[in-house]
Amino acid sequence: MMRTLDRLFELSTRSLAQRTSRRSLLASLGQLLTGAALLPLLPIDRSSRANAAEAPPGPESPENCQYWKYCAIDGYLCSCCGGSSTSCPPGTSSSPITWIGTCHNPGDKRDYIVSYNDCCGKTSCGNCECNRNEREKPMYRPSRNNDLNWCMANADANYHCTVSVILGVAEK
Amino acid sequence: MRVPHALSALLPCLLLTAGAAAATPPPLPAEHLTVEQLPAQTPHWVYIYDDAFANEIDARIYLFDGDSFRRLGQIGAGFDPAYNLSPDGATTVVATTYFARGSRGTRTDVVEFTDNRTLSVSGEIVLPPKRAQTSPSLFLVAYSSDAHFLYVSYVTPEASFGVLDPLHRTVLSEIDTAGCMLVIPSGPNRVSSICESGRLLTVTLDAQGREASRTMSAAFFDPDKDPVFVQGVRTPEGYAFLSFLGEVHAIDFRGAQPVFLPPWSLMSVAEKGHWRPGAEQVWALHRGLGRLYVPMHQGGEGTHKDGGTEIWVFDIASHRRLARWPVQAQGLSRVVAVEVSQDAAPILFATTERADLAVFDALSGHLRHLEKHIAQTPWMLLIP
Repeated sequence: MMRTLDRLFELSTRSLAQRTSRRSLLASLGQLLTGAALLPLLPIDRSSRANAAEAPPGPESPENCQYWKYCAIDGYLCSCCGGSSTSCPPGTSSSPITWIGTCHNPGDKRDYIVSYNDCCGKTSCGNCECNRNEREKPMYRPSRNNDLNWCMANADANYHCTVSVILGVAEK
Repeated sequence: MRVPHALSALLPCLLLTAGAAAATPPPLPAEHLTVEQLPAQTPHWVYIYDDAFANEIDARIYLFDGDSFRRLGQIGAGFDPAYNLSPDGATTVVATTYFARGSRGTRTDVVEFTDNRTLSVSGEIVLPPKRAQTSPSLFLVAYSSDAHFLYVSYVTPEASFGVLDPLHRTVLSEIDTAGCMLVIPSGPNRVSSICESGRLLTVTLDAQGREASRTMSAAFFDPDKDPVFVQGVRTPEGYAFLSFLGEVHAIDFRGAQPVFLPPWSLMSVAEKGHWRPGAEQVWALHRGLGRLYVPMHQGGEGTHKDGGTEIWVFDIASHRRLARWPVQAQGLSRVVAVEVSQDAAPILFATTERADLAVFDALSGHLRHLEKHIAQTPWMLLIP
């Protein structure tokens, strides 16, 4: 599955992470310059320091929406839901029918055909929403459409999250 | 008299308390619990689709008043639903899915009818478990012009549609569409579907809702180079569809066969390749004034679901652009859905990426109100 609003959430989350990081840098400088005794006077939310160690995953991470295999995904990343980019979370079932994308891997500069299988049987994961639409087409071209619930043919048709599985190198 | 020390200390407090009691207003009267009744419907009521994507089994439709800026009520909508309004605006129809154990278990697909005067469910029709579960569109559940038939798009992924009798609450038939999708109603007994090839299948029904005949048009767009969005708008002559690159494909559905009008572009030659439409609900039309409202953004391939940073306004007859309304300058994030009321003092409603609802004067573009976080994922709006 799919959707658009994730783009904002993803961007705003990254923006928040960036702000958090900057504030944490200020906190560190404050400690160095003024000493710990003056810290309570600094206009800094030091609770953000706890987040400083949790750097957001970069685009090389399957937990990041910008990961190259996700170029036509729409839904929740199974990597953030107890699975991985190629495995469904425990207790769910994989959809046998899918849509596909063609994604460019910057690592080896090849284009790959990627299958986006939904994982099914529990309600939506709600973590790491990701919507990208390279070469995505409307539902009347279903094999390229990420709006349809691809759990539709499962015994338990509820949508949970989406994986991306390399099928092979795309022919030029 | 000698007053004990402790009592003397308390005395001023007691006196104060007595004085205060004398000045205390009478207690509030007992209250009576009631259920609110909706006021009379106005042209500025909007039905807001919330997919509740983070917990998708709990979708809902909110009724919001664009004059008082108040939420008036809610319709439950199950899992990944489709919705529409009856031609007279009196009924909201929701085609949805429920699982027997909430988030799991046997799937039941159903069409539910809600009386818009009370927001109570007035009936239902159980469907075969084939309903198309996808992003909202006008053409997933739709009434015939006389409301005698109701059509529901099926995808299993084989494509077909159901013909229902909403008066007698029965399923009449299932029509195989040979891979073509959507239920685009015209007249009392015709249904068209868009095919993967860019052609349009039109099925004519008999009085019992069974197939009487079918025709296939020539391709009216190129699905590889410039596919049309599935979010069409109703026009006085039929419907219009918008392509990813901003071509308007108007179709006259008044005759036995659809007639395709010459396409025209939203963008000038200089704007092509830079600006394009994009959203969940990509445009709205005021049929009386002939004004089109389209969320537009700057972007390339793969941005067709990105919301608009501007709303462009067009005269549909002359194809002339009347205005560009930048929305971010007014504190809005990108616009993902638009709908306009059909009265003489129209309101343009727009939902945003941040899930806010903007209420604009549709003639001037003046932002009258911004309702923060109207829903979780408000992807479609409908006004009778």
